[in-house]
Amino acid sequence: MDNDLIPLLQLCDSNFPSGAFSHSFGLETYIQEQVIVDKESFKTAISAFVDKQLVFSDGLACRLSYEILESTRGINELLEIDRLLYVSSLAMETREGNRRIGERMAKLCLELYPSTTLGEYLQFIKNKQGYGHSALVFAFVAHHLQIDKEKILSAYLFASVSSLIQNAVRGVPLGQTDGQKLLVEMQVKIHEAKNRIMMLTKDDLGAVSPGLEIAQMRHERLPVRLFMS
Amino acid sequence: MSYTGVLDLFASKKNEKTIISSCYYEGALKIARPIYLEGDSPSIYLIHVGGGYVNGDSYFTQIQVDDSAHLLVTTQSSTKVYKTPTEPVRHQTKIKLGFGSVLEYIPDPLIAYEDARFIQETEVEIERDSCFFYSDIITPGWAKDGGFFKYEWIRSKLKIYREGQLVLFDHLFLEPDQQMNGIMQMEGYTHIGTFILIHEQVNKKFLDEFYSHLIENFPDVHLGLSALPNQGGILRLLANHSGIIEAIIAEAQTFSRRLLLNKESILWRKY
Repeated sequence: MDNDLIPLLQLCDSNFPSGAFSHSFGLETYIQEQVIVDKESFKTAISAFVDKQLVFSDGLACRLSYEILESTRGINELLEIDRLLYVSSLAMETREGNRRIGERMAKLCLELYPSTTLGEYLQFIKNKQGYGHSALVFAFVAHHLQIDKEKILSAYLFASVSSLIQNAVRGVPLGQTDGQKLLVEMQVKIHEAKNRIMMLTKDDLGAVSPGLEIAQMRHERLPVRLFMS
Repeated sequence: MSYTGVLDLFASKKNEKTIISSCYYEGALKIARPIYLEGDSPSIYLIHVGGGYVNGDSYFTQIQVDDSAHLLVTTQSSTKVYKTPTEPVRHQTKIKLGFGSVLEYIPDPLIAYEDARFIQETEVEIERDSCFFYSDIITPGWAKDGGFFKYEWIRSKLKIYREGQLVLFDHLFLEPDQQMNGIMQMEGYTHIGTFILIHEQVNKKFLDEFYSHLIENFPDVHLGLSALPNQGGILRLLANHSGIIEAIIAEAQTFSRRLLLNKESILWRKY
């Protein structure tokens, strides 16, 4: 039996209550500014989001955290990644959104798969010495369950993309079928992103795109919003 | 290691007035004589002695502002990075602000020409009750074929620590590719501007007023403004020429000086 499969399916299920459901991470700004209007324009946007945000921040942080856990270099290095993720998110809403999702996932995953390392991380978050980010939580769970690094990376990227597509179905709006077709079309992109992440170093962490940052900042001042970021 | 240029500057307060109490420079970096545009605080103009940064150049700048001192720093002209066939150009900057000090660091734009690779690493340490204004403008240089984004890449890392704790990591990595003009990257624009302000009175109310003020004066500019984790803000904008970014940053500085420092605008008269 494939022991990885079912835990991964559960973690990446769009019904997994991480709170990601409420966040567009700047995409809603593009929807309101009529840059994203249909499936094609959304595909361009989410591809750029994967290439930049997910590769250089979330995905790379997940890989680095997993490697720190493997090496037993300790919690301080993990907290450094956690802090870099928090302070490199320049828009307050996105920064707080990521933090809330991270803390919520850490609590939930600790109930599902109790481990000393994740418990320690959550304790640091509670003591305000850590912030919380889903990238680290995925790494903790995967390392605890002995899920292969590249597998968890692909799964994490898939979960992020799938959740954004679900949100686009509501926000753009897109048809349900179009959303699912897009998720299939994104498979190659997710695979490439995972390979790219494997080539990067810690020096690359947090490199984000100016346009996306501005969109995340502008979201804070949109008069009517469907999403919290 | 030996640098192409080094500059080490220390400003401190003496009898109600900030003075440059020590200044060391060598190689391609130097400063002009401090100018007192305001009675009590000097303006320093950073100067690059050569025409610009070339292959393999490395620079180190340190600026320290002692407790209660107020220093203004700008450049005499834009910083130009030319092609770097074998080694990228690297510029490291360390900035320290003592208790209750003020540093306004507003350099001219960086211009990256064809085939340029440039690494800019800036670390800022800020103590309690101090005030820091910082700006940065990145522009693509003119290329033979008239196209933009001919530079190879620019990596800019800015880290700001407040009382020993990292509060901002702004990591811009610009590597022109097919999508450089597109969504989430340059959105069809060519120039990037940033203005950061850190002061204990920077709260939501201040940032809301600041935003309204900017939008009233520059209604059509593509800009975003948000709060930093702790008593600070960041403004980032995209445009198609330096002039508009410089105007907005000047306005941002003037607004912040008036509300946070109770001082009038500063006129640097460079040209």
